[in-house]
Amino acid sequence: MLICPVCAHVNPIGATHCEACFSPLPIPQTQTCPNCGAVVPISAAFCGSCGFNLKAGVVAQNPDNMPIAMGISMSNSELNSESIPDLASPSAPIENDPAAISPLASPPETAKTQLQVIKAGLLHVQTNTLLELPSHLTVVHIGKPNNVIPPDLDVSGFPDSDIVSRVHADIRIEADAYYIEDTGSSNGTYINNLPLPVGNKHKLRAGDRIALGKGDKVTFIFQIL
Amino acid sequence: MQIKLTCKLSDANLDVRQSVNQRQLAIAISAVAEPSQDVPLNLCLILDHSGSMGGRPLDMVKKAATELLSKMDWRDRISVIGFDHKARVVVPNQPVDYVERIKSDIYALKAGGGTCIDDGIKLGLQEMAKGKNGTVGQAFILTDGENEHGSNERCLQFARLAVEYNITLHALGFGDYWNQDVLEQIADAGGGALAYIANPESAQREFQKLLKRAQSVGLTNAYLLLELEEGVRLAEFKPIAQVAPETVELSLSHEGNLVAVRLGDLMTDTERVVLANLYIQASAPTEGQTKPIARVQVRYDDPSTGGVNITTEPTLVSANLPQSYAPMVDPQVQTYLYALAKYRQTQIAEAKLSQGDSQGAATMLQSAAKTALQMGDRQAATVLQANATRLQQGTTLSEAERKQTRIVSKTVIVDP
Repeated sequence: MLICPVCAHVNPIGATHCEACFSPLPIPQTQTCPNCGAVVPISAAFCGSCGFNLKAGVVAQNPDNMPIAMGISMSNSELNSESIPDLASPSAPIENDPAAISPLASPPETAKTQLQVIKAGLLHVQTNTLLELPSHLTVVHIGKPNNVIPPDLDVSGFPDSDIVSRVHADIRIEADAYYIEDTGSSNGTYINNLPLPVGNKHKLRAGDRIALGKGDKVTFIFQIL
Repeated sequence: MQIKLTCKLSDANLDVRQSVNQRQLAIAISAVAEPSQDVPLNLCLILDHSGSMGGRPLDMVKKAATELLSKMDWRDRISVIGFDHKARVVVPNQPVDYVERIKSDIYALKAGGGTCIDDGIKLGLQEMAKGKNGTVGQAFILTDGENEHGSNERCLQFARLAVEYNITLHALGFGDYWNQDVLEQIADAGGGALAYIANPESAQREFQKLLKRAQSVGLTNAYLLLELEEGVRLAEFKPIAQVAPETVELSLSHEGNLVAVRLGDLMTDTERVVLANLYIQASAPTEGQTKPIARVQVRYDDPSTGGVNITTEPTLVSANLPQSYAPMVDPQVQTYLYALAKYRQTQIAEAKLSQGDSQGAATMLQSAAKTALQMGDRQAATVLQANATRLQQGTTLSEAERKQTRIVSKTVIVDP
């Protein structure tokens, strides 16, 4: 029995178009997991039963990779499913090599710690203060206190912070890369003294100079710690 | 006259892995013209001359009616009925030879009184009966208002009676205050078209369009006969509908193991397309790798030879049973599906609107607009989307917009 999402008519099994309004019916499409045989939705990236990586077609070895992968893919709507394999790349050697499938193999350990060790910070040039980027966030909001998007990095204490908008810029962490984008600030964001147009993402490298607002008054140096 | 019959499945491949496959069978039927066998027309104009038609509307209708005469053949027959709250014969049934006298009779019509459509239809049928031999009977009913002095139920009874007499009724709504439900029912029951004359100036164009259609009728009283093979059944809910030239819900009757659907006239230049919604049990691949679905026959009358109940040889429709299923979607049948979806979705929207659920109606109209876009019917999409937007803004639809909605949902308007 299938209930039409458009007109709520009850259709018999086998219907592909609603009998009443002839809208195409959403047929739940499923696939069987090649690893354990469980029935999972066709859009699933991982088997809900055994954790098999359905996109890559190999068994995910390190269970710790999964929460990270899913955490990012769920919290970051811009990240589409295609970039999930990229994320798993630090541990790719083991995943792609069936011979290395062994719980005793040590490389996964280093791969895992490497992923978590990466930390970044912003050095405020005018006061020489280092702000660490919160490592648990995938999007770090930069600005001043407001009711809409509370900043994760509050710059209101710095001199000349009146030129910084309350919602000024975001730093996004995707895989192990950092991107900055202007979220519609009044006075703009400058990367290495060049304006960053709204809507553009700039991939940050260590040493990049980020100025919030004009005149290079609130400036940070991006650092990998 | 011969019949041209083509049958197509929405997807000619069946998926063996699924126990039941839903498929739509599109059956396109038209008459094949033979110039020597042109059948004379028995046309009856049933015209509303109630008080509201006074002035320019009635003048334009009279002009349109007289213009029709010049396009008719001398062998054709004409009769004109005028009705207000009662009906009278304006032009008795006669051949179109004394054109000037017929014209002056039509021009003598004066506006006044109320509206009683049923009496008009009744008198029209009586008048047409005088010239029914060897002709194609067609009646145009034009009205601009509610059937305030008659009963809508009686109208429908006369429409069904007309069908029994093998007369086709076309309904023309004039202006914005006619009842689209009643007129659509008359046209559907009478096997004809529903036309909307939005302003007096377009009366002539709509009359000409209908006359052209009436003149292209080659065979009458056609029935579609379906014999379903084993493991095939019709959908339980509204299984058969006509999708071209206009969308009409068809009612079916059973004749032994046959399913019979009345189509009415068959035209030479326009195909009638009927869509049947089927459920097919796909059994394991047989030797020939095909599964018989249905046998399709047409039964009709041929007024040019006087033959009645002529039945064509059955055409067998079958589907493929490939080992590994891959869809083989027929794009044309897909368009027919969209046409029916557009109509049904608009109907649901109108039902919601009459229940006072204007938000639900707006959503439904939006779906219908999307469906119209998918089938490439931009005009309908524009009208439906505009109405959906109006409902979302909390305004109600005007009478003209309601008529427009009904017409665009029922037909695909082709700009001249």
